[in-house]
Amino acid sequence: MRKAFITQENLSVLSGDLERAGRKVVVPRPSATGRMEYGAAQSGSLTHLGGALPARSLKATFLPPTEALLRWKNAKDDVVLEPSEPKALPTVVLGARPCDAAALAILDKVMDWDYHDDPWFARRKATTIVSLACDGVDSSCFCTSVGLSPDTTKGSDVLLTAVDGGYLVEALSEKGEALLEENKTRFTAARGEAQAAERRKAATDKVRKNLAVDARTVKDWLGGNFEHPFFKLGSRCHACGACAAVCPTCHCFDIVDEPEGLEGGTRRRNWDTCQTSKFTLHGSGHNPRNDQHARLRQRVMHKFHIYSERFGETLCTGCGRCARACPGGMDLLEALREIDKLRRSSRPSAAPIVTPTNPPISGGAR
Amino acid sequence: MNELRQLARKLLADKTVGVVIGYEEGQGAVTRPSFATSPEQAEKLVFDARCVQNLASYLSPRRSTVRSLGKPAVVVKACDAKALAGLIREAQVKREDVVVISVACGGVLADPRSGKALSEAMVADRCRDCDGAHTSLADHKVGQAKAPAFGSPKVDARLAELQAMTAPQRFAFFKSVFSECTRCNVCREVCPMCFCARCMADKSEPQWIESSPHLRGNFAWHMLRAMHLAGRCVGCNECERACPAGIPLSLITRKMQKVVSERFGYSPSDDPNVPAPTGAFRLDDAQEFIR
Amino acid sequence: MSTATAIENKSPASAGRFEPRIAAFVCNWCTYTGADLAGTSRVQMMPNVRMVRLPCTGRIDTAFIIKAFERGADGVIVSGCHPGDCHYSEGNYHARRRFAMFKELMNFMGIDERRVTFSWVSASEGRKWGDVVDETIERVRALGPFDDYKTLLEETP
Repeated sequence: MRKAFITQENLSVLSGDLERAGRKVVVPRPSATGRMEYGAAQSGSLTHLGGALPARSLKATFLPPTEALLRWKNAKDDVVLEPSEPKALPTVVLGARPCDAAALAILDKVMDWDYHDDPWFARRKATTIVSLACDGVDSSCFCTSVGLSPDTTKGSDVLLTAVDGGYLVEALSEKGEALLEENKTRFTAARGEAQAAERRKAATDKVRKNLAVDARTVKDWLGGNFEHPFFKLGSRCHACGACAAVCPTCHCFDIVDEPEGLEGGTRRRNWDTCQTSKFTLHGSGHNPRNDQHARLRQRVMHKFHIYSERFGETLCTGCGRCARACPGGMDLLEALREIDKLRRSSRPSAAPIVTPTNPPISGGAR
Repeated sequence: MNELRQLARKLLADKTVGVVIGYEEGQGAVTRPSFATSPEQAEKLVFDARCVQNLASYLSPRRSTVRSLGKPAVVVKACDAKALAGLIREAQVKREDVVVISVACGGVLADPRSGKALSEAMVADRCRDCDGAHTSLADHKVGQAKAPAFGSPKVDARLAELQAMTAPQRFAFFKSVFSECTRCNVCREVCPMCFCARCMADKSEPQWIESSPHLRGNFAWHMLRAMHLAGRCVGCNECERACPAGIPLSLITRKMQKVVSERFGYSPSDDPNVPAPTGAFRLDDAQEFIR
Repeated sequence: MSTATAIENKSPASAGRFEPRIAAFVCNWCTYTGADLAGTSRVQMMPNVRMVRLPCTGRIDTAFIIKAFERGADGVIVSGCHPGDCHYSEGNYHARRRFAMFKELMNFMGIDERRVTFSWVSASEGRKWGDVVDETIERVRALGPFDDYKTLLEETP
């Protein structure tokens, strides 16, 4: 795959080129509330892409907080359904953080599991992701603990690394190659490779110091210790779901029907979170996850046990946003450290861990 | 600090309470809520300008995990005490079921993660009009009360800017900030006064508030949240601090606080016997807007 | 103005002008009865109002007003018993506080407060009801359709 170089100025020009070519350009930029967030680029104002992680992840670009799935109309003796076309504009993300790009590749598995999520894949297909090797590592980052790194290429089509005067550019996929080819006048011969390697190593070393645990190894302990007292974690949790709102891999949604008068209405899907009691509340009033201890356990289990059992991947990219966002001061790094300690001190279980696996639902709408 | 720990130790040792809800060192440079259930655990307790959380939130009847720890003693700042008074006023907590430890607070940081020291620039906005006095609810007072001396709240200046705009400009402003709202409900869940077992926003028949985070649903949510908190909100600003989208919710809560104060002469009070303005009325309440 | 012209002005078909949709939330004991009296007294008024009867203004949640706008109302009337006349003694006093706060909130959010009329209309004020209705319709007609609110759904990014 080809390597190249682009100046900061040319990157700005490239952003304009892409917009003129009819592509939506998504970059980290100040949101309406003044925070750095991924969002549509303001024409001609592309500044340095680096720095701290955007406050929320990139998932909203692929799984919007609300999305119409279909409209229904009440006819005389019938209900007429009109499926909504997914909005999947040709898009280029410039300056995605590698952890956020990796999350998309991880989520592809569940989105193509028992049901092929058309809107998700329509947007995945229409989008080229240009990541920036992360230079905003802080004390909550732990991507190296889930097998990633600040310069991971997973899920990215192009990887940029900030070097003196601009960015080292590496194409990683056919889409990435195509992007470089289509805009080749903006790129020059690769340079700064040694500096890039040095910076990327420095960032990786910095993350490593935050959490000396391989979070992929806690899977088996979790599977065998569902009732462990460790999971009495819930006291300081507000059950607010801020963690899920900022998480790149939390993908649960709620489907609601919103009527518009008597004529019809819209079925929408909206972000949801397993941290609220309503998430599992049955119509009977019974709630299988009846307290916050159980809900937090679910969050840890889903990320580090259930998903890896089913898909061979950890449902976490170590971005650390949950720890930064938690109003109650919960910290996943601390929890992983504790679990790792318990894992090391526990005897290896004699019996293999049995996890019920649901067979895929056959005859889906594939 | 020693005074606080000693007190907590004593309360736990003689079984006056089952849990002391206070603050402890968290990960990194921040503090976080702490739930000390044994005299030994009382040694973890700290209090300083990083202790931003309103611990009265944990006394809400929705917190079953906290309630299961036994009778609580709670560490409160002057602002948090008003939320506790609200819970008592609205019959969610019985006064005799909680031991109130009032800590002297000279103001807390707007962003404890910044690692900066407390200063005029770094102080949480709500501390600017606080008198710092110990609450009259206190069963125990720790530390000498001192009034924080910082300028007037910045939210008031922003309110004045908004007030100077035309109505369509304000509508455009709220549209732009509400477009960031994903209806994660964090503002509701962290609020000490949002204690309903089932929120109006979670009801679907009829669905008064659309749960979808489109602008129409978001306007309905933020306006009705403002209405339900009017005269009850104590201005602790946990909602804004916790909002993952950074929506300036204090603009709305502060505005409603001013409306209630100007119209009904009510300010958030730490006296549970002062009736909330929405549960009371005067025969001569102004009605200039009614034909 | 002759009776004939008055009636013509109050007919919806006049000259393709904008006909606002107005939702009215009224209490059973005073305003609804007053509106009934307006009808039996043959008070002429414009027909743009759809009325919802509730037991008391105390039952009028401000969510009703928002829902009316969501469902396409251009204006809203909220009306009940005069202070002191409440069938339930004090429902309207509580409502008055709520409406005062809501009015200020609407204004703060940038929703034109002229789109909502709050009034006290007693069972004997059929004539006043007619006036409240006509005034509200004319005022909202002048403001035009409430497109700001109606387009909120489509404007979601």
